[in-house]
Amino acid sequence: MTERFDVCIVGSGFGGSIAAFRLAELYRAAGQTPSILVLDHGPRHQHTDFRQSMDVENLSRIYGLVQGQGAQIVVGNGVGGGSNFYLAASLRSPSETFERRDHRPDDGPDRRMWPLQISRATLDPFYARAERALRVQRPSWKQVAKSGGLWAATLDRAGHTCDRVPLAIDLSRCIQAKWCHTGCIYGAKNSVITNYLASAEEMGVQVRPNSEAELIVQSQARPYRYVVTAWELDNDGPEPTRQPTGGSFEIECKVLILAAGAMGNAPLLMRSRPGLPSLSSQLGKHLGINGDHIAAIEYDEQKVKELLRLPGYGQTYKGNHITTMTYDFWAGRSGNQWDGTRFTLQEIFLSTLPHILYDDGRDPPGEPSWWGLQKKQALSTFNNHIEILAMIEDTNDGEFLAPPASGGAFRPNAGPLWVGPFNYSLSEQTVRAREAANSAIAEVLARAGLGRFMKFTFRTANASHPLGGCRMADSKDLGVVDHGNEVFDYPGLFCIDSSSIPTSLGVNPSLTISAVAERASKLLIDRSADYGLPAKPARFAAGVPGVHLGPHTEPVRRTSDKPIDDKVRYYETAFR
Amino acid sequence: MQQLRQEENVGRFAGLLSRRDVLQRATVLGLGAFVASVLPAAERIFVSEAAAAVQLPDATLQAFADTMVPGRKALTTDLGNEIDPLAIAGVDSEPGAVEADALLLYHNPLVGFDALEAPFLSELSARSLAHGAPFLDLTFDQRVAVCLEGLGPSNPSVLVWEAAAAVPFTAFLAAAEQSEATIDTSSAYQVMGYPGTAPNGYAEFSYKRKLATELTSRGYLP
Repeated sequence: MTERFDVCIVGSGFGGSIAAFRLAELYRAAGQTPSILVLDHGPRHQHTDFRQSMDVENLSRIYGLVQGQGAQIVVGNGVGGGSNFYLAASLRSPSETFERRDHRPDDGPDRRMWPLQISRATLDPFYARAERALRVQRPSWKQVAKSGGLWAATLDRAGHTCDRVPLAIDLSRCIQAKWCHTGCIYGAKNSVITNYLASAEEMGVQVRPNSEAELIVQSQARPYRYVVTAWELDNDGPEPTRQPTGGSFEIECKVLILAAGAMGNAPLLMRSRPGLPSLSSQLGKHLGINGDHIAAIEYDEQKVKELLRLPGYGQTYKGNHITTMTYDFWAGRSGNQWDGTRFTLQEIFLSTLPHILYDDGRDPPGEPSWWGLQKKQALSTFNNHIEILAMIEDTNDGEFLAPPASGGAFRPNAGPLWVGPFNYSLSEQTVRAREAANSAIAEVLARAGLGRFMKFTFRTANASHPLGGCRMADSKDLGVVDHGNEVFDYPGLFCIDSSSIPTSLGVNPSLTISAVAERASKLLIDRSADYGLPAKPARFAAGVPGVHLGPHTEPVRRTSDKPIDDKVRYYETAFR
Repeated sequence: MQQLRQEENVGRFAGLLSRRDVLQRATVLGLGAFVASVLPAAERIFVSEAAAAVQLPDATLQAFADTMVPGRKALTTDLGNEIDPLAIAGVDSEPGAVEADALLLYHNPLVGFDALEAPFLSELSARSLAHGAPFLDLTFDQRVAVCLEGLGPSNPSVLVWEAAAAVPFTAFLAAAEQSEATIDTSSAYQVMGYPGTAPNGYAEFSYKRKLATELTSRGYLP
C-alpha cells in the first residue's frame, strides 16, 4: 500500500535535515502538523552509540568507504549523514569561488560555473542562518590544538599568515580528545542530530531509518507528483547483514527532496530515468572531491624547541581536528585569470588511517616509498606529524557510470568497503593545482627549517568531501538543478545537498552545503502553495533550531595529562 | 631443513593453483592472463596437491604483511594469535603489522579479502618463484623485490596488490581488530605513540599562545 505525505526527503545529512526543519517551521506557522517523512538508508545513531574506535565493526556501522575507479570516497552512514562524522570546520567560501569560469576542456562553453543568482553576497544571509543553527564559534588561541598551533608557528616563521578556523563545536563541552571522526560521544559537536533534525522531529517530522530509496516515478494524482519506492535494510541487531531485507514500501508525495548526498542522488536519479525521461544529460557527471589533496609533515622536535621556542611537540593526538589554516595562496588572486590556481592549506587530523597515504620522502629511485621499512620508520614518528589538507580549485573530475541495482554503491558484504560505479580521472588542471599545493607546503617547510615534507603518493584520489553529480546551473544543458535546487523540467523534485554544488569551494564544504540548503528551503517556502503545501503566512520568519542532546553522558575531562604523556614517551623508546 | 620446507611449500603452492575456482576468480580480477601465463611452468614444477596445508597461505599472508609494515620477531599477536616462525623477517626493532593482527583482518568477513586471497597468493607465489623460492622462504630484500613488481604501476593486477597491502596498514594504523584500542592494548599504537581511545580527553592540548599573524577578522575570506 502506498503511503502519502506532502513532503518526502531522501537523506538526513545537512541538506535533508535543513529542509526538514525549515518546512516543519512552515507547517507550525500555518498551524498544521507537518506531513513530512525523512528516509535514511543507515541506522539511527545516538551519541551514546558512538565509540572512539576504528575497529572494523565500528567502521562498518558508521562509514562507507566507497572505492571507485581512480578514487576512494568516505561517506557517513546513518541518520544525520556526514554531519555525525565531520570535523566541524565551518567556513564561508571565498567570493572568488562563485565567480569561477574554469572547467574541464570538454565541459561546455566558457561561462560562470555557478548560476547567476548565486554569489557570496546572495549566500551570506544563509551562511549566517546556518552559523546560528550550528552554533559556529571561533576558538581562541588558548583553544587552538598544538598541531594547529605548530602549523601556525611554521607558517609564521616562513613569512606567512595563519588564521584560526571557526568550528561548529560547543567548546565548553568538548574534551579535546580528537575523536570527532567516529562521532562525538558527548554531543559537543553540532551534528544535525542535535539541532536541525532533532528540532524537526520535535515539531512532528517523521524519520524512518534503514530505508533506502531505490526508484522514483511520476504520480498523476495531483497535487501528488512523485512516488518513491524504498527498500528496508537490515542494519540493526547483533549481526546485521546491511543488505535489503526483502521488505519494501512506497511513498507518494507532492514534493520530493533528494538529499542522499553526492554519492547517492545521481545513482538514484540515473536508475529512475525511465520514469523521469527529461532529466538533464549532465546527470551523473562532474562528480568532485572539493579539491581535497592531503599531505603530511614530520617535525624535528628539537628544532621545534630551538627555532620556535615551543615546549616540544610529540602530541598530535590532542585537541580539535582542525584549528588553523592559511589563505596566503588564495588571497589577492581575484579575477578569472587566477581561476584554477588558488588553494588553501589547513592543518587537519583525519584519523590515524590516512597515514598509509604519504610517501616517507627518503626513497632512492626504485625502492619502496609508501610501504616497507622506511615507511614503517616514518610511522614510528607519527606523533610528531601533522597532516595538511590542501583545498585546491580542481575541475570535478568524476563521472558515474551506471547505477548499481540498489543504493548508491554496491555493498559486497556487511563491511565498510563499498564499490562505487564511478570513474575519477584527474584533469591536467587538477594535477597542476595539486603539484602547486605540494610545492607550497615544501617551500614553507624549507623556509621554516622545521621538518620533512611527506607527499601524498597513493595512486588514487582519496577524499571525504564528494560534491556534484546533480550540479546546479543556469540551464538544463549545463546542469541538473536550477539555482533553487529544483530539477529542470520536474516541478517539486529537488536535490538539496552536496550533489548540487558545482565546484570545489576552497574550504570545508559543510557550511556552504548548509547555506545553499537554507536558500533553497527559503525559495521553496516562498512558493509553498504552488506545490500544494501550506501557504507561507504573512509574518513567517525563519528561527533557530534548539539544541537537543538526547540521551547523553556528561563529559569529564582529564585534569592532568602527565600519566598518559609519560606513557607515550616511554613507548617511543621502549623498543629501540 | 630449509630445503625440505621449500619443497613442502612448492607442493602447497601447487595445491593452491589447482583449486578449481582460481582461474575464474583471477579472470574476474584481471589476473587471468598472468596466472595463465605462469600455469604451464607451474605444472612442470609441481607434482602433488596432497601436501597442501591449511597454514601455508596464512603464513605467506603474514610474510607479505611484514613486508608492507615490517616488525620485530614475535610468535604471538596482540590478541594472542599464532605467528608463523618464518613470517616475520625481523628487520625492525619495533612491532609491525603481523603483531597487530593483520592476518585476522585478512580473514575478517567484514573486509572481504577472502575472495581475493587465492588469486593474490597465486601471483605472489609465482613471482616469488622467479626469485628462487616461495615468498615465505625469501630474504626480506627478495620479498621487497617481489612486492616492488606486484605493486608497480605496470602490473595489470596492481589493484589486487593494493588491496592486499591496505589490510596490514589498516590493522596497524587503525588497530582495526580491537574495539576501543589503547596504547596498552595495541602494539601499533605503542610504536606510533598514539594513546587511542580517550574518553576523558586532554587538558594540556594547546600552546595557549598566538602563534601567527592572522589575515582575516572572522576566520574566513570575504
